Amino acid sequence: MRRWTFVLGGLLVWAAHFFLLYGFASLFPGERLVRTLSLAATIPALAADAALLWFGAARRRRADCNKLERWLAGLAILGAAISIVAVMWQALAAAIG
Amino acid sequence: MSPLISMRSATRMLQGWPPPLLDPAGPYAGSTTLLAWVLFGMGALVLLLVLAALWVALFGRAEQRAKLGGPTLIWIGGVAFPVVVLSLLLVYGLSLTRSLSGPIRGDEMRVRVTGEMWWWRVAYLDGDRQPFLHDANELHIPAGRPVVLELESADVIHSFWVPRLSGKLDMIPGRRNLMRIQADAPGVYGGQCAEYCGGPHALMGFTVIAHAPAEFARLMQSRLRASDASAPATPEAALGARLFQSTGCAACHRIAGTPANGLAGPDLTHVGSRRTLGAGILPNNRGTMMGWIGNSQAIKPGNRMPPYTVLSGEELGALAAYLEERK
Amino acid sequence: MTSETGFDPALYDRFPIRKARPKGELGELERIWAAPTGWARLTVINNNYIGLWYVGTAFLFFILAGILALVMRTQLALPLNGVLPQETYNQFFTMHGTIMMFLFAVPIMEAIGVLLLPQMLGARDLPFPRLSAYAFWAYFAGGLSFFASLFFGLAPSGGWFMYPPLTNMTYSPGINADFWLLGIGFIEISAIAGAIEIIVGVMRTRAPGMTLDKIPIFAWAMLVFAVMIIIAFPAVILATLLLELERALNWPFFDATRGGDPMLWQHLFWFFGHPEVYIIFLPAAGLVSMMVGALSRTTLVGYRLVVLAMLATGFISFGVWAHHMFTTGMPTMSIAFFSAASMAVSIPAGIQVFAWIATLASGRPRYNTPTLFLIGGLVTFVIGGLSGVMVAMVPFDWQVHDTHFIVAHLHYVLIGGSVFPLFAAFYFWAPMSSRHALSERVGKWVFWLMFIGMQVTFLPMHLTGLMGMPRRVYTYLPGSDWVVTNFISTIGAYMIGAGVLLFVVELFRSFRFSVDDSAGNVYEGGTLEWAPAGIYSVRSIPVVNSRQPLWDNPDLGKDIKAGRYLLPMSATGNRETIISSPLRAEPQYLEIMPLPSAWPLTAALSTAGAFLLLTVQAYGVAIASGVVAVISLLRWLWETDRPVALKLADVGGGIKLPTYATGPSTHGWWAMVTVLIVIGMVFLMTIFSYVFVYGIHPQYWSAPPDRLWLIPILGGYAAAAGLALLGRHLLAREKSTKWSPPTQILLAAAALGGAFTADFGSWRLHGLDPELSAQGALVMAFLVEQAQLVAVSVLMALYLAARTSSGLLSRPRNNSFDLTVLFIVYTAAQASLSSLLTRLFPGGL
Repeated sequence: MRRWTFVLGGLLVWAAHFFLLYGFASLFPGERLVRTLSLAATIPALAADAALLWFGAARRRRADCNKLERWLAGLAILGAAISIVAVMWQALAAAIG
Repeated sequence: MSPLISMRSATRMLQGWPPPLLDPAGPYAGSTTLLAWVLFGMGALVLLLVLAALWVALFGRAEQRAKLGGPTLIWIGGVAFPVVVLSLLLVYGLSLTRSLSGPIRGDEMRVRVTGEMWWWRVAYLDGDRQPFLHDANELHIPAGRPVVLELESADVIHSFWVPRLSGKLDMIPGRRNLMRIQADAPGVYGGQCAEYCGGPHALMGFTVIAHAPAEFARLMQSRLRASDASAPATPEAALGARLFQSTGCAACHRIAGTPANGLAGPDLTHVGSRRTLGAGILPNNRGTMMGWIGNSQAIKPGNRMPPYTVLSGEELGALAAYLEERK
Repeated sequence: MTSETGFDPALYDRFPIRKARPKGELGELERIWAAPTGWARLTVINNNYIGLWYVGTAFLFFILAGILALVMRTQLALPLNGVLPQETYNQFFTMHGTIMMFLFAVPIMEAIGVLLLPQMLGARDLPFPRLSAYAFWAYFAGGLSFFASLFFGLAPSGGWFMYPPLTNMTYSPGINADFWLLGIGFIEISAIAGAIEIIVGVMRTRAPGMTLDKIPIFAWAMLVFAVMIIIAFPAVILATLLLELERALNWPFFDATRGGDPMLWQHLFWFFGHPEVYIIFLPAAGLVSMMVGALSRTTLVGYRLVVLAMLATGFISFGVWAHHMFTTGMPTMSIAFFSAASMAVSIPAGIQVFAWIATLASGRPRYNTPTLFLIGGLVTFVIGGLSGVMVAMVPFDWQVHDTHFIVAHLHYVLIGGSVFPLFAAFYFWAPMSSRHALSERVGKWVFWLMFIGMQVTFLPMHLTGLMGMPRRVYTYLPGSDWVVTNFISTIGAYMIGAGVLLFVVELFRSFRFSVDDSAGNVYEGGTLEWAPAGIYSVRSIPVVNSRQPLWDNPDLGKDIKAGRYLLPMSATGNRETIISSPLRAEPQYLEIMPLPSAWPLTAALSTAGAFLLLTVQAYGVAIASGVVAVISLLRWLWETDRPVALKLADVGGGIKLPTYATGPSTHGWWAMVTVLIVIGMVFLMTIFSYVFVYGIHPQYWSAPPDRLWLIPILGGYAAAAGLALLGRHLLAREKSTKWSPPTQILLAAAALGGAFTADFGSWRLHGLDPELSAQGALVMAFLVEQAQLVAVSVLMALYLAARTSSGLLSRPRNNSFDLTVLFIVYTAAQASLSSLLTRLFPGGL
């Protein structure tokens, strides 16, 4: 389970961020409030993605990392990278949408 | 030939071009047209690039193919390029959405349009947002000014769409959606229901007529006077007026100032001045009016008006004559 | 080397084993796996047969829905054309969309999965063959009777999206709309059954050594596909359930006059409906990724990027459902979020397209029919993707939404992304199941007719849309600008029709089903499905070291056939396959597989019967049919979960595997967890509906019953969970009597029943009337879900008691027992949550 959470980490971050923002927009009145909350939620999301990138790279550098582990870490890194783009786009939507 | 469409065509040199989506008549449609052209340009460019890459991959020289045959192509073509292009588009699209849906000031002219199976109820609202004038299937607006429409539904979901004036917006039971339209110049703008609403959804048209402001004011004044009901002018029309009460028309249709106050069907107080019959599908004249009353089911199958095949041609003519006078 | 399960990978080096296998071993394998003959052929459960019948049935629906499309195009060729009357046209377009989406596109992907996956993964069959048979027959019977409703004028006419209020009792009083709900009911059942098969199959039945980075890319696609079904379908399951309840019992979920909201349907439907597009696209993309490498004799460029693209699609496609609702007047900010996600989801698509181009460039593509379909599909899909980016731009969508521009867009995406790849796959894999390959010469005609026809039909249709022609219109007025492009589109449609007709003729001419004597690896693929195989799949299950094992080890096919790898025989005298670990595919135990049986067939037909009879309101017979279905189901399960005498089986190379395993790593446990995720998603969607409707019309809500009621309710559910766990504990203890563990389960079921009665009863005493308001309807919907779970729990408890009395309860652990405990604990948890929610929110705030 922990391994899957790591491999899919970036995408999970995106999902959490997206549904959080959708929740804000649906539950709270007032665009200013939604905007602020959404942008605030973006910071930890991007931080989590950055952490995933760092962990992934560190794991790949470890000497005892076997081929499958290295491959999975690569997948995690790619997932975090696409997540960064997608999360930033959600934040863009929050900023000017 | 439907007048709705023929009049639009007449304003254009080429049959079908430019299509209404690329031929905006006001600011709310106009900015979208620019966006459409940007998108078409982007689409054509990207398609050309993909086709070129595909061509090289299939038929290129060996060294060219070798250059494409690695992950670099995916990173450039599938990641970097889309991220840049889509980021730009996203900013453009989001700001445009924002500017098109900015707050409504509240002092605009307001009209409530209610979608019904399969026609449109129109009510012009006064300063207190109360209806003061009723009509159907046709909307008159002053040119050069924004008009706010309150979109509602009486039964199922419909969608209000006059492409040259604005994008579409749904009419949903239990909700009220607000839409802005504006025509920069006087003219006639056709539209049609865009959300499938069962039965003759295909035959649910709408017309917006924009007038110069002074002319619009005169029109509204004359309509208000007409609402006091004028007596039938000819003996034939007088017979029609009696028939209108006796054959059951009045149970569903309202004509202001007369005992006819049915609310199930379109308001007929100004039916004589409408350009079309049956919600945008027939030109309005004596013959089509007789045909419509006699057997509208043959023209627009499934609509809610029963056929009146029991009426003689003379009676149909009298009814049509009476209605023709209702300007 | 590291290991996942304690298995020593060094053992792999012992293979291939040079020693000759004993004579008669192969004959034994063939006898055990032989398909029944004559009428008993209908009881077949083997994937070679079920898979092919499944593909054939799905393709039949493609043709039927295609014929509907041709008639519609004929009607639209000219203004005010009289080919189809209005109501019939409305039924036709509803059926065209519904059949293409629900009865063709999703089933054919599952069908291809059933047919190809076991061979690709080196398994003997999918882990639950009887479930495959059940899914197929339910779909076959239900799908055909659904289609037949057209001939009686009973077909639905509310569009494939079935928006209420148009589809409620007021505006669709006939049983037509109920037929839609029936048709969808079937695809829900068979899609979820298939998804469970595929998830457990891909994760747990891979050949030894086939680690996650060596899975054939199609299997990755199918894994994501199946997980997406598990997440997305519950939304439509709930939506159809609510709509049927509103129609049959007048519960106002979607009725704005009583506090419901028509928009709720749209949210639920599109939460399923948009991922559905990717559910259809991903497997096809997986097929393309397989073929594009094989056909140009090279490996897929960017395998990991493509895997990522599929995973990312699986996630992001759940954030785009509302882009079908841009014109409903949603708040600008919400719309913006969905617009951004719609952009994001196009990146994975771009990655895959460029991976395919790079693969073509790195290999030596040949001019043959499957390659043509691949390239034609790629170009078509790119055009559809670009118009997709356009409609993700909100103001543009406000204009083109619900016009023929969208019709053109979606056909580009679905035909380019799914239909053309499928035809490529038909050509590519036909030699695996047929004695002859399909003709290349005819194939090129088929391609060019379909490809040119496609462009002629749908390219001008963009313009028709820009000229303002809405969708779902049965006619248009003379003199409009739409005449010319419509006429051209109709010509194109007939070209596509001609291409498909030619393909069907070619199928009759060339396709001859065969498992043992097939034409073989005509296009020289490198994955395991091209290894020599019989009805039992591969003779021996190879150790996999690469993504194209047949290319990298030229002797592999010969060695597999000679039985030089694992399990070259039946180790226990039963049908069996190796269950392996999820990451590294290390062999864990042998699954004893079920034999052919008529019970899945009777279960499927009586399920179909029950639904159909409900639709025509023959309630008595419907219930009887449902009872037969349940009995058949239990009867089929009765023969399963029986440990065999031989506890450890030698599968070759000195590797000994247990023949019975229990606990969380078994395939049965995995399947049960998957089912619980489905149920949990339905529950989550109900919570969403509850909160959503409250948010729209809070004024219709009233206070819940006294909160003291929570004490007996939660107490009862907690007791049920505790008793079930106690039963499991007792089963493992030597000192406990034969009946003491199942007695705890029976008591647990009784506690569930008691707690549910308290929950339901307190609402009734409080005056809950589901017809009065949406709150009442939704609370009752929660209770309906609870009642179903409790009823299943009771049934499972009784079944366990029956097994106990027949001496079938193995100790110290037993799978049937474990799964019952799992289900009861889940039921208690969900039921507690729902009673808490309905009593504390919003009333307790």
